[in-house]
Amino acid sequence: MSQKFERVQAGEKVFDWLLLLFSIGVLFEAYRIDGIPGLNSPGSFPVGLALVMLASSVVILISHRRKRRDPRIRNAFHEAQVFLYEHFQPHIVVFTFLAVAYLAAIVWASFYISTYIFLAVTFIYFRQGKVVSSLIISAAAIAVIYALFTLVFRVYLP
Amino acid sequence: MSDTFSYLLMAWLDPQLLLLTALGTLAGIYVGAIPGLSVTMAASILISFTFSWDINNALALMVGIYVGGVYGGSRTAILLNIPGAPSAVVTAFDGYPLAQRGEAGRAIGLSTVMSVIGGLLGTLVLAGSAPFLADMALEFAPRDYFLIAVLGLLLVSTLSGKSLARGIFSVALGSTIGLVGMDMVTAQPRLTMGSMELMGGIHYVVVMIGLFGVAEAFYQLHNLTKVPVKQKVDKIIPPLSMVLKYLPLSIRTSIIGVIVGALPGTGGDIASLFAYDHAKRTVKTPSSPFGEGAYEGLVAPETANNAAVGGAYVPMLTLGMPGDAVTAVIIGALVIHGLNPGPMLMIETPHIFWFTVGNLALANIFLLIFGLTGIKVFSKVVEVPKALLIPLILVLCVVGTYSINSNMTEVYWMLGFGILGYWLKVFGFQMGPVILGVILGPLLDETYRQAMSSVGDSGGQFLLALVTNPLSLVLTAVIALVLLGQTPAKTWLKSRFQRN
Repeated sequence: MSQKFERVQAGEKVFDWLLLLFSIGVLFEAYRIDGIPGLNSPGSFPVGLALVMLASSVVILISHRRKRRDPRIRNAFHEAQVFLYEHFQPHIVVFTFLAVAYLAAIVWASFYISTYIFLAVTFIYFRQGKVVSSLIISAAAIAVIYALFTLVFRVYLP
Repeated sequence: MSDTFSYLLMAWLDPQLLLLTALGTLAGIYVGAIPGLSVTMAASILISFTFSWDINNALALMVGIYVGGVYGGSRTAILLNIPGAPSAVVTAFDGYPLAQRGEAGRAIGLSTVMSVIGGLLGTLVLAGSAPFLADMALEFAPRDYFLIAVLGLLLVSTLSGKSLARGIFSVALGSTIGLVGMDMVTAQPRLTMGSMELMGGIHYVVVMIGLFGVAEAFYQLHNLTKVPVKQKVDKIIPPLSMVLKYLPLSIRTSIIGVIVGALPGTGGDIASLFAYDHAKRTVKTPSSPFGEGAYEGLVAPETANNAAVGGAYVPMLTLGMPGDAVTAVIIGALVIHGLNPGPMLMIETPHIFWFTVGNLALANIFLLIFGLTGIKVFSKVVEVPKALLIPLILVLCVVGTYSINSNMTEVYWMLGFGILGYWLKVFGFQMGPVILGVILGPLLDETYRQAMSSVGDSGGQFLLALVTNPLSLVLTAVIALVLLGQTPAKTWLKSRFQRN
């Protein structure tokens, strides 16, 4: 009798193990609230939730027994290569770096300047050139943000 | 009687109130739709500059914002898979697949009409049965609230795609995030890892923007070069036959919406979940499988969450208890204006109640007008190249997060949740259960502890109360049935019944 297996994605098993570790960490942190909690204590619910997370992550890991790797993936090293290729493509890495740099820059370079530079750089990079139109669109976006959030909604900006 | 009618029609006949309701509804649609902005936020901001206004003017604007905002959240859920509000989380399940199929215009048109039907039915129920429902809600014990929250979270777990274990993990993760901070009874720090920053907890909007906004932006990077789905905006107004076809379902889910909305602390998010589950269980032959673009999966939550608006007003106006976060803000506005929300409001200032009923109906009429006429312009948003959209979404997320508490640390948290959400999404976890866990987790904790205190911290007494109180017994039975439905026992029982 032929058995149908679900496919497991590259890196999925590692991620599910990380969830198990995370659940153990949450259980430890919940236990620190008041040790073994009573039925009605500050730690009772966090401990309960951590146990639910732990149990469900164990079930998720057990469910891997019914799953199989993509037959095109030859071994663990190849799986790591596929994972890196899928999730660490140059434009994803560059955007992540720009996003982190943007958030860091807001504090010392002001919101409008850092936002303008972030938008202009990402637009130019994603659109492979088109410098002038990217700069104009960035300026227009800044104007709309100013009008909408500062003038209409009167929201405090960083 | 004539007084009641004059209060009901006040907003319809006064040009200023008419204009304010219209402006509020239009603004609400866009506030609800823009990721990072929320109706609660807009209503909170509105309080600050409407406290010197006449109470009717202030209420007219807020009612418009509320009605428009609940509906507006569905637009980005359908077009971008980014629910603008928790009540639109379920709308994305089938709304986004419909947009991917090129039926965004029809989906938004149908959701507009159904939202209006739900809103009007909710208003009608508010007017007709407010005292009765309020009395019923007064009878609820903390354990009943606890059971309702458990049922809501259980339902969202079962709805979260192929794996129940992943759904339960997501709900527990969300609830854990919701519990971070000081314990509200003992002020003891919980899950803060010794950090002072975390003592105040993590605001659910930060988590929501991170999981829905940033995670989606990162996820869309995989499709950066793909041409966006061209939206067929020429078929906005749904044919009458389509509306009539889904009318019975919308009436049923309106009733669900208004009842759930009337339960204090619940609101449109749980109402839409209940309605979606009801549709999933009762509609045997949907237009497409649920989760893959079924119109029934769109109609049910959209009708229910707008019907819940009327429901949410019931405990607010009659008991002084907020039905949801927005009505909590509106209670603040009433107090600022010297009114006394609660049972006395109906006796001392009945005109406020009837004015609100008339105003809600009016806002729904404006919703129909703006919802059906503004779609073409709005749909163009999704045709903006992803190269432009993704960085702009991140900027909106930064603005939205910072505006909550003017705190940059929360912006960093938002990015962190975004990255976590990206990986969860990649490996088949849905964001809806996480965020509903964040919202309902603290409510669950609070009601559980109140329920335990009421039985002297006795586990046996607590279990006994679950089966001896009629309402608790019904809720416990429903929970047991939902759980049983997820196990092989369901198939076994079914085959036994069929054999007999």
